[in-house]
Amino acid sequence: MVMMMAPGGTLEMARAVLDEGADAVYVGVVGWSRRGAQDELNDDEIARTIDYATTKGKEVRLVVNTMPSSTEIPMFLEHIQRYASWGARGFMISDIGAIRLAREILPKDVEIHTSVGCGITNYEDVKFLGDAGANYVVLPYRLSVEEIRQITAENSVGIEVFLFKTPSGGKICPGKCMMSSYFNFHRWLDANGKDHFHGSASRGGDCLRVCQTDWKFNMGQLEFDEPMTLKENPALWLEELPEYLAAGVGCLKVPGRDRSPELVRSITRVYRQAVDDIQGSDHPDLAKYAAELETLRGRWRTERHKRDNRLLSEAENLSRNAMAATL
Amino acid sequence: MFELCTEACNIKELREGDYSAYDATYLGDYSCPEYPNNFTSNIDQLEAGLELVKSRGQKCYLRLYAIPSNHDLPWVEDLIDTALTMPFDAFEVHNLGLLRMLKKKGSTIPLHLGVFGNLYTHETAKTLKDYGVTRVCPNPELSLKEIAYIAENTPIDTLVPVHGKIPLVISETCFIVEHSEECYSSPDEPRPDGPCNYQCAKEHWLKRGRNDGSRADWSLKDTGRMTLSGKDLCMLEHASTLVDMGFNIFYVQSKGESKDYVGKIGKIYRDALQKAFSGEAAPDYAPLVANLSALAREGLCNGYYFESAGQRYFGRS
Repeated sequence: MVMMMAPGGTLEMARAVLDEGADAVYVGVVGWSRRGAQDELNDDEIARTIDYATTKGKEVRLVVNTMPSSTEIPMFLEHIQRYASWGARGFMISDIGAIRLAREILPKDVEIHTSVGCGITNYEDVKFLGDAGANYVVLPYRLSVEEIRQITAENSVGIEVFLFKTPSGGKICPGKCMMSSYFNFHRWLDANGKDHFHGSASRGGDCLRVCQTDWKFNMGQLEFDEPMTLKENPALWLEELPEYLAAGVGCLKVPGRDRSPELVRSITRVYRQAVDDIQGSDHPDLAKYAAELETLRGRWRTERHKRDNRLLSEAENLSRNAMAATL
Repeated sequence: MFELCTEACNIKELREGDYSAYDATYLGDYSCPEYPNNFTSNIDQLEAGLELVKSRGQKCYLRLYAIPSNHDLPWVEDLIDTALTMPFDAFEVHNLGLLRMLKKKGSTIPLHLGVFGNLYTHETAKTLKDYGVTRVCPNPELSLKEIAYIAENTPIDTLVPVHGKIPLVISETCFIVEHSEECYSSPDEPRPDGPCNYQCAKEHWLKRGRNDGSRADWSLKDTGRMTLSGKDLCMLEHASTLVDMGFNIFYVQSKGESKDYVGKIGKIYRDALQKAFSGEAAPDYAPLVANLSALAREGLCNGYYFESAGQRYFGRS
């Protein structure tokens, strides 16, 4: 049976997705995940989420997928041991050294998922991560079903996919992109000595989505008539899901930690029904979900647009102020 | 005392550039297998490149493709098998799967982790040492202090880029080819022949803003499958700091630059680093920084090293 995980960007969202049938909720830990603090949970909220999930026979997986500083590694290990003792059943991690150390200290029944921050591109990468101690490797959201079949054929580690994808190819995001922090980046320590970052997709805080603003592309003296963005955005998908499950995918990940609880609740409900249909029938009728999914895609785009505008405004203001300060 | 390295993507660049200031050359363009006569993807080019670098008394490192997909693994493996029979001093590897492949082959050639290997911590460096990695290029986002920590606490050799555009993102497809039809809005501009006609030979820039300070003015340079910073990293004014922090392997990024660039930059840094290592008092860098600025269309930067945005520049003061 495939595990379906859904996001808990807030306590409200975490409960909602569990109510809508997610087998597990994944929540970011403040300062340790690839999102701003508004989409992460503090220790009290994490404990309450674990309690709630336990009463429903469900699981909580914690997202600690920033690339930590070297000096933060002891703090990182102390945190995950604490959360594991509270009942967290898994962790999502990007840093290879952190994966290795986490595997050494965590009980065997606590699972490690690699994060998209690992930036994998082939089945040998998946083997490497399995060797390092991963139980699940999440694939980038641009691989085809055939590529996934090749990966599962070569690997025994669990394979996880997002329930959204982009067209194959293009800029590798996330995992190998630093455009955001090139334009805006700063770092500070909190009272506990924890590093916090702003502007780095890999180190924490929000990616400032500079790829989504209007760039002019110049070639020599020629210039494109229209401004352009640098990367396509992923969209929710469904039609290929039976093939993905047949290819050996063992974990499905609903996206949306930084979306509204209402939207994520609706998305989780639709996918729960679809996955149950697929697992319960040789010929599932997925067409009945098409209209609702299209509506959800529209809501998804609207919320993404608002988020991107907010982040880009921040990036512009910070960049302008920083450059003015150096003049 | 120190090693100053740079790169050459193919034999033409290697012949036309002035590499006399360097101790080592990284051969190949790790971002694009289609790049003309790329050492990284053309087995028949390896011998000539290796011979030329060695004839200059330099070390020669071969770059492997940074982001191989499943279908790329067979040809990359063929290239590796051939290169292992040649006296390269090391391979540069960005991809974890290729590290595993090399270990499985029982290869003992030293391995350098490249910039897209995503190295952020000393614990990752320790893990990679088990795969034969002897040198790492930390992620560009790391500060000098963090790089020094990794070097000391792994311990491992670290490559510190000191000049040139910063690789910021890598792609599996070519941004220039994807937009090539729209590029040619002028009827006089000759159209490309096929999917790739090496349009990346011309400079491509991404710009945002009005260039008048009224909005955030941003610039990036696109080489097709890689996007680089618009500004050139420049650490000239901090040569003595780099020495004091214990670094001794330095790199000049020159992909996409003119054939004069690598020679001019190399000479300036060779001189500055020699003076710094011999303990001479720091010179007046202003005229040299002015020279370097003249070679950098969008200006200079080094902000990441000082815990700030990459595009900012911090001078010696």
